[in-house]
Amino acid sequence: MELEDLRELIELLKDSDITELQVEKDGTKVKIKREKFLPSLEVPVHKSAAFHEKAAETEEEAQRLATITSPIVGTFYRASSPEANPFVELGSKVGRGQVLCIVEAMKLMNEIESDVDGIIVKILVENGQPVEYGEPLFLIDPA
Amino acid sequence: MKLFKKILIANRGEIAVRIIRACKELGIKTVAVYADIDKESLHVRFADESVCIGPANVTQSYLNIPAILSAAEITDSDAIHPGYGFLSENHHFAEACNTSGITFIGPTPENIRLGGDKTKARQIMKRKGVPVVAGSDGPVVNEEIALKVAKKIGFPIVLKASAGGGGHGMKIVKEEKDIEQAFYMTQREALTAFGNSEIYIEEYIPDLRHVEVQIVADSKGNTVYLGDRDCSIQRRHQKLIEESPAPISASEKFRKRIGELGVKAARAIKYRNVGTVEFIVDANGDIHFIEINTRIQVEHPVTEAVTGIDIVKEQIKLASGLPLAYKQNQIKPSGHAIECRINAEDPERFIPSPGKITFLSLPGGPGVRVDTAIYNGYVVPPHYDSLIAKLIVYGKDRTEAIMKMRRSLDEFIIDGLNTTIPFHKKVLNNPDFINGDFNTNFIEKMNGSRENV
Repeated sequence: MELEDLRELIELLKDSDITELQVEKDGTKVKIKREKFLPSLEVPVHKSAAFHEKAAETEEEAQRLATITSPIVGTFYRASSPEANPFVELGSKVGRGQVLCIVEAMKLMNEIESDVDGIIVKILVENGQPVEYGEPLFLIDPA
Repeated sequence: MKLFKKILIANRGEIAVRIIRACKELGIKTVAVYADIDKESLHVRFADESVCIGPANVTQSYLNIPAILSAAEITDSDAIHPGYGFLSENHHFAEACNTSGITFIGPTPENIRLGGDKTKARQIMKRKGVPVVAGSDGPVVNEEIALKVAKKIGFPIVLKASAGGGGHGMKIVKEEKDIEQAFYMTQREALTAFGNSEIYIEEYIPDLRHVEVQIVADSKGNTVYLGDRDCSIQRRHQKLIEESPAPISASEKFRKRIGELGVKAARAIKYRNVGTVEFIVDANGDIHFIEINTRIQVEHPVTEAVTGIDIVKEQIKLASGLPLAYKQNQIKPSGHAIECRINAEDPERFIPSPGKITFLSLPGGPGVRVDTAIYNGYVVPPHYDSLIAKLIVYGKDRTEAIMKMRRSLDEFIIDGLNTTIPFHKKVLNNPDFINGDFNTNFIEKMNGSRENV
């Protein structure tokens, strides 16, 4: 393969959308590759759907149970610090006004209180998970 | 200089969609924030991620700085684009972003603060040799001084709120005997509306045209203008139709003069990123500085059409530290573009008309662009402003643009609520509009009514 041939091949590549070219001639193999950068076209994941865990299993459950939702955007924590015990567990009996968790926003710890008396039957988010306004956090079976 | 990895859009509706489009084309990830009632919005759907930040009420959602900053934090966004309206001209928000290590895509907090102080901005422009409307030199603190200044300029005069702008917080005073009452009322209204009762005075200019200049500046202060726009078709100081170039800047000389004045005004306050300098042009063709808008504007598409420059992408690139990619002599606007703002309002009395869109068909074809966040079945909520779509056409000259706008308006079908499409059709068939012979009194004149300005 002559230099001239190579030049021609490169020109061919330049003016087209071809990104890779492999040519074999008289026992000589030439492979020319051209990187074309395009931002990756990922299929977007609609994250907000993933945020919402299934709150109540059944219709009756949904009617009966009280949902505690986050009033702010932030990060959900089960306890007041990494070393402390969680405020509540599954089955904990809680009273109205009792602190159930922390939602941290901009380095400020916001205590989230229960607005009903009852028993915690479901904890819907994980420790350290980001939560949005209105995100369901706990399901409480009212006393 | 690297572009941002992820941008949070602190807005909704058509401008949020616009910003998401620019981000996607630049390979930047997007985060939408939304009030709970906006869950089914297009901007939420198009973004890579979304965060619900509050209930419908704007104070608790789109104006909720802690919620928005928190959303940026939990999504690891490295920049926030504020769009227009909402927090885009709130310098506290811009500062808060910077403090949190998140880039505010727009000018500096100081630019914003100054832009929001109309009295101060006027004083600076005057000092730097940008022509301003005759008026008070600084704020007017009481009725006596107001009277003195007014008599010096000559009635009629306009009382304007320092913290106002965009036509809000203004009162025309025709005679000496009215000034005391008007002054008191304007102060009261300004305090209620803007939390600031400071007033300044300008000469009242009848038959004026509103011509503005699009400005772009990089972090080193290289500043260029991207042509001008005429926004004189206004109702109660709300723009309804805009075009580029302004019909009055038919001469290359005028275009250059007003463009250079725009750059001068921007440099006077060391303006950065994208903004617009507003001028009024009086019946003699004299140009006067009015205010500077420190954000992207609703009508930016007409400038994009005639220059071929994507202004939102420019904002993002400049905010990430990239230098201006072109010099003034490389900007050669050509052709003519017109934009009609389609509002969900009654086309005659402009009463808001929220509701469900039962049938939607968008215009198309060569030279037609629609910026919108509506879709078939979308419910236009009553909580936010009534702009539901922008129809922009581009032609090789103004005549072609007008023909395109007419046929596009005919193609635009929105059933289920009232829209201002019939109003726009009326304007596009009006002889004065077609002749380019109009000023800010146009709508009043067209309706033949004595609508209170």
